[in-house]
Amino acid sequence: MNARSLRFRMTAWYAGLLGAALLLFGTTVYLGLSRHLNRQMNESLVGQARTIGQELLAYVGARGDQYAVTEMNESYSPEINARFIRVTRQNGKVLYRSSSPHNGSFDASQIPPAKGAEQEGFPPRFVNAAAGPVVLQGLTYVAPNGERFLIETGAAYQLIADELRSIRLAFALGIPVFLLGAVAGGLILVKNSLQPIREITKQAERISSESIGERLPVVRTGDEVERLALSLNRMIERLEEAIQHISRFSADVSHELRTPLTILQGELEAMASHRPHDLESLEMIGNALEEIDRLSKIVNQLLIISRLDAGQAGIERLPVNLGDLALDAAEQMRLLADEKDIVMSYAIEPNIFVLGDHLRLKQVLVNLLDNAIKYTADGGRLEVRVSGQREFAHLTVSDNGIGIDREALPHIFERFYRADKARSRTSGGTGLGLSIVNSIAAAHDGHVAVRSSERGGTTVTVVLPLLPRGQEQLCSKKEMTSEPISR
Amino acid sequence: MRILLIEDEVKVAAFVKRGLVADRYAVDVTHDGKEGLEFVSSFQYDLVILDLMLPGLDGTSVLRRIRAGDSKIPVLILTARDGVRDKVSNFEAGADDYLTKPFAFAELLVRVKALLRRGPVNRSSTIRLRDLELDRLLQQVKRNGKRIELTTKEYSLLEYLMSNAGRVLSRNMIIEHVWDASFDGLTNVVDVYIRHLRKKVDDISDCKLIHTVRGVGYAIRDESEP
Repeated sequence: MNARSLRFRMTAWYAGLLGAALLLFGTTVYLGLSRHLNRQMNESLVGQARTIGQELLAYVGARGDQYAVTEMNESYSPEINARFIRVTRQNGKVLYRSSSPHNGSFDASQIPPAKGAEQEGFPPRFVNAAAGPVVLQGLTYVAPNGERFLIETGAAYQLIADELRSIRLAFALGIPVFLLGAVAGGLILVKNSLQPIREITKQAERISSESIGERLPVVRTGDEVERLALSLNRMIERLEEAIQHISRFSADVSHELRTPLTILQGELEAMASHRPHDLESLEMIGNALEEIDRLSKIVNQLLIISRLDAGQAGIERLPVNLGDLALDAAEQMRLLADEKDIVMSYAIEPNIFVLGDHLRLKQVLVNLLDNAIKYTADGGRLEVRVSGQREFAHLTVSDNGIGIDREALPHIFERFYRADKARSRTSGGTGLGLSIVNSIAAAHDGHVAVRSSERGGTTVTVVLPLLPRGQEQLCSKKEMTSEPISR
Repeated sequence: MRILLIEDEVKVAAFVKRGLVADRYAVDVTHDGKEGLEFVSSFQYDLVILDLMLPGLDGTSVLRRIRAGDSKIPVLILTARDGVRDKVSNFEAGADDYLTKPFAFAELLVRVKALLRRGPVNRSSTIRLRDLELDRLLQQVKRNGKRIELTTKEYSLLEYLMSNAGRVLSRNMIIEHVWDASFDGLTNVVDVYIRHLRKKVDDISDCKLIHTVRGVGYAIRDESEP
């Protein structure tokens, strides 16, 4: 599981907090219980000692030692109750000492005599008596005849220790099991509550400018996720409106501009074919027709750019072998270079594939080569390079032509920008070639870099995301089905 | 041959009709989609030229209704819309050809002729124009019996010109047939190739066959004939 996912983090926090709370609770309960049990034991031992003093030892002077011994054995039977009782006279002589209990929880003979603990209420002491620990309490009793006794009572500590240990065990086992259950439950809970978000993500990744009419799934739960989905849907709706606006606009523009152009062209062509004309009129008509041709090219290219910029609408996504494409385009334009004695050379890495629109990518090459040939003097050099660099494909066209001025360089992708206004108008371009290259590269998630020096030579590099090797075959079936579209 | 032109732009309809009539076609014009549909069901046409943006009933709907009537009549779409999706949806609706405005009339004429002579076209393997001879099987060109060596592109260009001999072909038409649409709009590649072709084909003879029609394009024809 991704450690940064909401699901992991929420569960980890929740489990951590719950664990800490359980630990705190367990410790408090354990400590409280242990104190309570100890205190209870002490009180019972002290109480017993006091009773022995008041009810038995008070009459020792009158009824004799044997009476006390018998009474103690009978009423307390310490051997059966796993208790320890020892009564010591002032002179150190032991009046009574119980023997080891029947259950063998301690060995009474191992308990050492108390030292100097003659006043009432001294703290309990623990003695390890062979078989097990014993907790002892003692108090001094002064009989009515003035005789002083040290009464010690004790009990096997094992009972309390056992009880505390079983509680410790219960907590040590119970808390992790409980925590584990809570984490599992939490994971399921978080997963369930994040499920709509996962679906929203999945659907959002599917929605492109082509399928902008689709919407995210909304589960009517009234919670934050529903609100998120609803507001995302409203955002997509606004995007859809914007995209529709753009495509409606370009459709309107194409209609509004192309219809008059069609009429102009048609009428002038009809005029040109109506003979006889004097040469001068024919020349004028021809001029007008050439300008109409240029105007319609500009309209077409503006529309191409605005569509490309509006998103990937109309862009095919099929594997394209960039090297083959470059060679093909260059070969088809070879004569243009030959005319100016420009030497064309190639450095093509094999099997460089990108995902894209064959026709548009070829247009990139044609535009770049056209520029390079146009702005390179007779006898110049021109190189086409295709290479793969990490996850990018580099397509480079470099020449040793006139180069681009430093101040012109940042503007060359702007529409209708001409570095050398007087010169390029006569060469018949539309001033949109590099803008188209830029827009096509952007629509393919790539970019264009230009390097040029004023002394001459320009290098244009188009960087496109490389299609990982081996994936070009995966989509080759699609290529056949979409053939009619590219017609 | 009778052609129905459904086009709401009166001036476009006018010059298209004029041009087609000059080429000896009978042309009916209507400016409305619904009316066009009635024309199609009332008369026997050999071809329909259909605009997409029409008042009343739009072009695609007209096309669908024509095809719903089980009519095999060829339909050429003539429109200012050039989106790929427009093209695809109209071809799917049963269009036979698609031409984007603005267009050269010569191109419309070539396409109309292509649609009207559908079916098995008799493509002879050799085309002749005066003393120029092009053999499609051997991909060989001879002028006055002498062989001319051409590059592949030069050959395709000459073949396209000769198979449309006498007709003016616009640069766009030549680009789309001999190169592809990615060359559209930028280069003077056609002019350069025509120049080279002329050097090889026309410079060796006194009779020039390749002609430039200023502002329109190129044509190959024998002007010595009346």
